[in-house]
Amino acid sequence: MVVVAITAAFSLLVGLGFSFAGAWLVLPFAGLEVLAIAYAFYYIHCHAGDYESITIEGDSLTIEKHDYKYDSRTVFNRYWAGVLVRELPCGDHSLFLRSHGKEVEFGRHLMNDDQRLLLAEQLKKRVGVIT
Amino acid sequence: MSYASTAGHDEHHDHPTGIMRWLTTTNHKDIGTMYLIFSLIMFMVGGLMILAVRVELFQPGMQLMQPDFYNQLIGVHALVMIFAALMPAATGFANWMLPLQLGAPDMALPRLNNWGFWLLPPAAILLTLPFTLALFGIGDGAIATGWTFYAPLSVQGGIGVDFAIFAVHILGISSVMGSINVIVTIFNMRAPGMTLMKMPMFAWGWLITAFLLIATIPVLAGAVTMLLTDRHFGTHFFNAAGGGDPILFQHLFWFFGHPEVYILLLPVWGFMPQILQTFARKPMYGYKAQVYSFWGIGVLSVVVWAHHFFTVGMPVPALIYFMFSTMAISVPLAVLFFCWIATMWRGSMTFETPMLFAVGWIILFGIGGLTGLVLADVAADAQYHHTYFVVAHFHYTLFAGGIMGIMAGVYYWLPKMTGHMYNENLGKLHFWLTAISFNLTFIPQFFLGLAGMPRRIPDYALQFADFNAVSTVAALVLGLSQLLFIYNIVSCARGGKKATDKVWEGSDGLEWTLPSPPPYHSFTVQPVIK
Repeated sequence: MVVVAITAAFSLLVGLGFSFAGAWLVLPFAGLEVLAIAYAFYYIHCHAGDYESITIEGDSLTIEKHDYKYDSRTVFNRYWAGVLVRELPCGDHSLFLRSHGKEVEFGRHLMNDDQRLLLAEQLKKRVGVIT
Repeated sequence: MSYASTAGHDEHHDHPTGIMRWLTTTNHKDIGTMYLIFSLIMFMVGGLMILAVRVELFQPGMQLMQPDFYNQLIGVHALVMIFAALMPAATGFANWMLPLQLGAPDMALPRLNNWGFWLLPPAAILLTLPFTLALFGIGDGAIATGWTFYAPLSVQGGIGVDFAIFAVHILGISSVMGSINVIVTIFNMRAPGMTLMKMPMFAWGWLITAFLLIATIPVLAGAVTMLLTDRHFGTHFFNAAGGGDPILFQHLFWFFGHPEVYILLLPVWGFMPQILQTFARKPMYGYKAQVYSFWGIGVLSVVVWAHHFFTVGMPVPALIYFMFSTMAISVPLAVLFFCWIATMWRGSMTFETPMLFAVGWIILFGIGGLTGLVLADVAADAQYHHTYFVVAHFHYTLFAGGIMGIMAGVYYWLPKMTGHMYNENLGKLHFWLTAISFNLTFIPQFFLGLAGMPRRIPDYALQFADFNAVSTVAALVLGLSQLLFIYNIVSCARGGKKATDKVWEGSDGLEWTLPSPPPYHSFTVQPVIK
């Protein structure tokens, strides 16, 4: 907030100064730029705390997600849950956990497809019918 | 500072390949590479333009071109070098190195990063297209006002001015996008434990650069938009006959133009102490003093703009204010020079190519700074203004201080980027040829300026002939020696001796903890700064 406020104050001050000198067209550009900076910081602020977690404890498999201000918590029976990997048109994969008609995507924030596939393999060993 | 880090291993690449990799990439290293390649191409384009100018100036009289075409070459050369070569080079390093140095997986806003880069090629085309068409007799050519767009000349200019206005707008948007990304990345993506005062100097240099761009780009955008409306929509912002003020344009332009010098130089000042400490094998001297000096220079740079047009006629108090405020910049700059020299003092120095460029850079940029002090003197400036003295001064500042600094950075980080060592002998040859020919090009121009030769003229009086001939021959050598640079980069990218992770014995920083070349995804686990 402090960074955005100082940047905005200086930019708008310059814009206003030149407006008083007759160059009022500086001000709209300064305003647009301040909006862009504020939005960039707001976006990062909103999503800085995003996370996904998966907990396997006893018979239960708990998936928790935090995306902006939305929290979700899904609990499956570990032995009834299934791991599903779908290929996307771009060649990447998305990972889902499902049970009793309910499906939850997991691993969107992983940095690459390999990590998602590795996680899917590891989950398959720990959930569903374990042999 | 010590580090604990984990680098991601990416034996399996899932990212797109071929042209789509480059068009759609959001990877900071890919985008950094594109910026650097683009910058190198435009450096050669701008260089060829000015070599044509120098050939024309080899002898008095008109040899090769008409005066209007000469003016186009001068203007487009400057715009290309500043906006399409130097700035993208600094942004390329920011993309490559900021996430690596801060311990971040990527820049904070990767898609914005991609857009920021892909705005550059259309802008470069807009800038050079009218000029290229004029070569084939189509249209009335590119902007012929010099890079400053001064009104009323630019109000009366041909369609090339409109092309340049749109190009500047696009380049400005790209710069603002890059700046927002840098600021957000630095404030949000630093590794745990990396406080602001533990950041590498390069990050500090870029942070202040980004703030300067944010502060000044709207002023340039407003100025060229007003120019556009004066040209086509009947406004009179800069037309004295309609109640406007052509001097207002100069104030607007230089409010952007002077900080622009520091925008080009601060990133170089940022990584140069890192190069010096690497090859002096001792810690950087005066980290805090350098950070505070950066801030001092950043703040002063936005309040000194009118020294670029002392001779236009200003009230005496304004002249005195701008003279002393300009001279005040030499205080933090002197602190920086002291720190750079003290970093080398009693170090176990070796002179690999990056260090040669760094030491040469200190000496030559020092000359640029000292001649700037001369120009800051109102009384002396009346004689030097608009002469070749100014041309020589700003080339010592921007070629030696900017481009030679960038070259030091390229040689320093190229093994890290490519995973191969460059040819050291070729690098050293490149340095010596560049340093000698650069001095032989521009020292004569100081004398020409002192003797009264004005800038931006295609013909000159006979007494200036000898110095111009020397300058032209040296400029041709300077231009040709850059082919060694390109050859060295290309051959290093294609293969060569394998570089180690640390590359240099004295290197210190997070980027050197990663493999050479770094994996596609840099830090899959955040490093911890202890």
